[in-house]
Amino acid sequence: MNLFRSKEDILDWSGFEAGTEDGILTLAQAAVILSTPRHAGRMREDYVSTLPDFLEPFIDRLMEVTGNSPYWDPRP
Amino acid sequence: MAEPTQLDRTYHYVLSTMVERGQAPHYTEIAKEFLVSPDEGKAMLHELMAAGLPNWLHPGTDLIGSIAPFNNLPTHYRVSVDGEQKWFAQCGLEAKAISALFPGKTVRVDAPCLASGADLTFAMRDGEIESATPAGIHFYVNLPVKKWYGDLPFA
Repeated sequence: MNLFRSKEDILDWSGFEAGTEDGILTLAQAAVILSTPRHAGRMREDYVSTLPDFLEPFIDRLMEVTGNSPYWDPRP
Repeated sequence: MAEPTQLDRTYHYVLSTMVERGQAPHYTEIAKEFLVSPDEGKAMLHELMAAGLPNWLHPGTDLIGSIAPFNNLPTHYRVSVDGEQKWFAQCGLEAKAISALFPGKTVRVDAPCLASGADLTFAMRDGEIESATPAGIHFYVNLPVKKWYGDLPFA
């Protein structure tokens, strides 16, 4: 899970694997994905107990930002 | 808010300590915080690490290796708050979650591009990106999300 200067740099990177283009996001997309309470609510004193409540909004956001890409879908 | 469980309290203490000083606590500190024996503190740490969160121990030890969004071992994601650099992000994705832990403050992340070696910098405040240099910074993970929990440190 790394950052790169540009999308072109990722495609040229020795660690890039063909067929994983869906694993590329802009900085802004990545920030939006991490803005739900699952990541932004970590300082809540009941965070671990209430984590299951945060899963659905997180998955919704993940699917919205990635255009419903199966690559980003954590569901079995 | 739900009544916090001991697991909630352990998590909150470990993460708060990381926020405050940039280093995770040892299990003896967990024990001291909750007025229990060192062995009980160690058990609390292991319970936390087994909770299914993106946190892990350094292999073969009772030392915290990572507690998302931070890493307790230096990474190439250097994090500064109010100009002070004493934190490291767990990865390029979690680096964007750190600003939520420092409300009202500018959190800056400096990292190298793994392909070009170029310096990358972005700053966030309260979850919003304030600046990014260069403007075209992208994130990449070569493993589908379903496989992340099979090998979190790798992902």
